[in-house]
Amino acid sequence: MAGHAAHRTACLALALSLLLAGCVARGPVMSGKRTELVETPFFPQKKFQCGPAALATVLSGSGAPVTADELSSLLYVPARRGSLQVEMLATPRSFARIALPLPRTPGTLIAELEAGRPVLVLHNYGLPFWPRWHYAVLIGYDPGKDVFVLRSGSKRRQEMRTRRFMIAWHYGGRWAMVVLRPGETAALDDPKSFLEAAADFERAAKPADARATFDAAVHRWPQEPVALVGRGTAAYRLGDLGAAARDYAAALLLDTTQVGARNNLAQTMLDLGCPHRARQLLEGVEVAGVDAPLREALNDTRRTAETRAASIQDSESCRAIP
Amino acid sequence: MKLSLWRKCALGVLSVSLFNMGMMSAASAAIVDTSALVTTDREADLGAIHAQLARAEVRAQMEQMGVDAAAVEQRVARLNDRELHQLAADMRNAPAGGDGALALIGAVFVVLLILELTGVIDIFKKR
Repeated sequence: MAGHAAHRTACLALALSLLLAGCVARGPVMSGKRTELVETPFFPQKKFQCGPAALATVLSGSGAPVTADELSSLLYVPARRGSLQVEMLATPRSFARIALPLPRTPGTLIAELEAGRPVLVLHNYGLPFWPRWHYAVLIGYDPGKDVFVLRSGSKRRQEMRTRRFMIAWHYGGRWAMVVLRPGETAALDDPKSFLEAAADFERAAKPADARATFDAAVHRWPQEPVALVGRGTAAYRLGDLGAAARDYAAALLLDTTQVGARNNLAQTMLDLGCPHRARQLLEGVEVAGVDAPLREALNDTRRTAETRAASIQDSESCRAIP
Repeated sequence: MKLSLWRKCALGVLSVSLFNMGMMSAASAAIVDTSALVTTDREADLGAIHAQLARAEVRAQMEQMGVDAAAVEQRVARLNDRELHQLAADMRNAPAGGDGALALIGAVFVVLLILELTGVIDIFKKR
């Protein structure tokens, strides 16, 4: 009886919220063909544990063996009875996956689905001033039935009306993310957001994983100097100094003002026994407007290059390096 | 000049190990992380100045919010400077995906509030 009353109250509130939301979620995005990623695993959530459940779904969907229970201690915040977006984005790094936040346009959700990638979304089933936050995983859509298909909460397969999905997503701040394996890029054609995510990943990643990640970026966006620098640094950390030097030099060809590439190339030249080349590279580079960590590295490299160049000649092999 | 086999061998080992020593000292030096190339000036400066403060703040808030002490270190350690700043700034208010169900009390409150705002009832005002 009480359950029935609760249900009715919830319905009333939902109706009100739909009423209020009428103006924000018009014009659904349903076009294209029916898609459903039926292979996506499912982790039914325990109480307040939709964050760990949803993240375990996308992580294991991308081949990283992890369960919702394992993620709980990394994500759940008891006093908030939920999990925070920042930690949802930070956690995949620990499982050799890149977390990519998506832009706030519905079309990008569909594009990722069609590329075979489940999308983790934040929903708000309450109202803007009375939020009920929930993470769910979008695994399909059906334009004929006008529904999105979700792995959500305790439901392995939930069909949700497009309109209702869009309202909840809109009230949730239109937040969505996907996880990528090293070597994968998203359907989303945005080098900037990918490279930011890849740079976040780089610190925690094995150099081989970082190399695969930036290598994919170089192939997808050959004109991006930062992609080349990232791949160069991964090569450097794997001890492949020749490849590192080639990538840094290529980045500088694309953008001569790329101070990070210049610094890293000079450092690589030092390691290859070419202090004169290193010194030349840093000659006249202005450090005034450069960020603090980069500026310190640059000054450091310059000092070392000058000291070594005073006493050591470049070896013959230095000429063969780009 | 002719070198015996073992001498060549020893020379090889020595030169390789010298080269490696050079590599080890150099690798720790001045290669910058790619993240230094994609963050903005402001973020980098904030990072340099406040990262330690933000870290301490996030650690304290997590403990206050009931995160298991053993997990706090692990959770803070994997965050970068930008993420630390974000969490330190609004861990209390940022969306926290939980259950999603509209709690009964919440729903009743919302309905009462709407009725109040539309002037149908008048229970929240001080007389």
